[in-house]
Amino acid sequence: MKAVRTVAMVFLILIAVSAVKPEWWTPAQYDTQFRDAPDAPPSTRFLLGTDSLGRDRLSRLLHGTRVSLVLAPAAALLSCLVAGALGGVAGLAGGWLDRAILAAADLFLSVPWLFLLLMVRACLPLNVSPMHSAAITFVLLGALGWAAPARVVRAAVRQLKDSDFVFHAQAAGCRARRLLWRQLMPNVAPVLLAQFWVAVPAYILAEATLGMLGLGVSEPLPSWGGLLREIEGSALGSQMWVLAPAFLLTAVVGSFRLILPREDYSV
Amino acid sequence: MPAMKAFAAHLLRMVALVLASGIACAILVRSAPGALVDERELDRRLGEDSLAALRAQKAKEAKLGTVFVRYLHGLILGDLGYSESNHEPIAALIAERAPETLRELAIGLAGAWLLGLGLAIPSGRWRQSRYIFLAYDATSTIAAGFLLSLPAALVAYLCLVAGAPASVVLMLVLAPKVFQFARNLIVQGYGASHVAMARARGVGEARILWAHVLRAAAPQLLAVAAVSASMAIGAAIPIEAICDVPGLGRLAWQAALARDLPLLVNLTMLVGLVTVAAMAVAETVSKHGVAPAVGATA
Repeated sequence: MKAVRTVAMVFLILIAVSAVKPEWWTPAQYDTQFRDAPDAPPSTRFLLGTDSLGRDRLSRLLHGTRVSLVLAPAAALLSCLVAGALGGVAGLAGGWLDRAILAAADLFLSVPWLFLLLMVRACLPLNVSPMHSAAITFVLLGALGWAAPARVVRAAVRQLKDSDFVFHAQAAGCRARRLLWRQLMPNVAPVLLAQFWVAVPAYILAEATLGMLGLGVSEPLPSWGGLLREIEGSALGSQMWVLAPAFLLTAVVGSFRLILPREDYSV
Repeated sequence: MPAMKAFAAHLLRMVALVLASGIACAILVRSAPGALVDERELDRRLGEDSLAALRAQKAKEAKLGTVFVRYLHGLILGDLGYSESNHEPIAALIAERAPETLRELAIGLAGAWLLGLGLAIPSGRWRQSRYIFLAYDATSTIAAGFLLSLPAALVAYLCLVAGAPASVVLMLVLAPKVFQFARNLIVQGYGASHVAMARARGVGEARILWAHVLRAAAPQLLAVAAVSASMAIGAAIPIEAICDVPGLGRLAWQAALARDLPLLVNLTMLVGLVTVAAMAVAETVSKHGVAPAVGATA
């Protein structure tokens, strides 16, 4: 299992490195049109062919990878920060604040996440610049994904709050701020880290679903969701290379799942 | 009496959550850009009187509190309002679309559970004993991992190309999740000491599975069942939108794009009600309805 994890990690690093500067490996920018070669099959000039507008598919795939691989972890970080803050406050404060935060989390969890995501995204402006649409999509993912991790953090904080070492620290005169930073935070950090790693592949998949429904990152900026949408108009039997984004997405999400600590995603 | 009190508390919580989700949805849609603008105002054929009537109608809808109170009053009388984007009463729309979604959810969920649990049981039963089942376990886990790494919308599109119905898509989306949870619970169950004891006493494998493994895992499996119902409702939207199924999922997607406030509020409350009810049933049954397995706590 360790060897498989190492392979997954190396694969992710390779993909991340190739997506950092896509211009180094590709013949053009993601929006450069080769009007003499629309819908071209794979060749030495265009390794994955071109789309119907004559844009190099490999360039778009690598740029799309960069968008998804940068913004999905950013969204996961945002949801973990919100979850950490709200879950921590609920666990520490208790009383009405705890009940209010739990009620808000229940409200978010009372509607399926994908339903909520689609509703909220559809209500936000769709005719915005590509960069804005990318920002809206991923901020939304981060902002709506806090409820489940917040409950986990709250439970962890409550458990820690009642533990012996916190009691001893309090008895030794440890102040609230020091207690939080030196005693509680180091123990909650692994919980938040696990939530972060679970959220990244989930957000990549959610963006892909939004993109396929036309609610994700807008053209011409590529993302995996937008690239998967192009599959819909293609003849899969004769143009298998249009499935390249699907293969890459599956491999990356699968690798993320493999590198998760086993206990964090198995049960 | 305590059971009645707990039931009443559950019911109250459910109603509060469903109402809150409806209010949150109404606020969200009302604050969406362009929500208070009627496209018909751009129609040059409309006279001043018609335009004034349209604006007056929109101004009435701007008062969210009044609209929601009126909606609740209508709800009590069985009137769910009128969908502007579909030009049809919402109750009729839901009645028309619900059977398709319910059929799809029922087949999809049943298939997912049969497939997921059916694949998980051999994984747990023979995992430790035979090499062939080690290979089986690895293969089924990899297959489940592969399906879990695909977005629901892509699975829907690939199934559409292959000519598979939406219920099969739902089954393929949910089965790996069910398998993943069930496999771990069943492997854990077969590893328990009371199972070894039962085997040593000569209890049959079917009885061990039913009375010692599945029964011990029942509370967690019920919780997974509730979660899978919620996931199925969420997954139904992209699946129905891609597969062009005339169900509630597609209706919700179209309503969101058209910013049809009354329809969205109704659908959100309906989805919220089903999700919260599924969770509550699972919680209640796992607390009161399932007796602990023989020796499960030993």
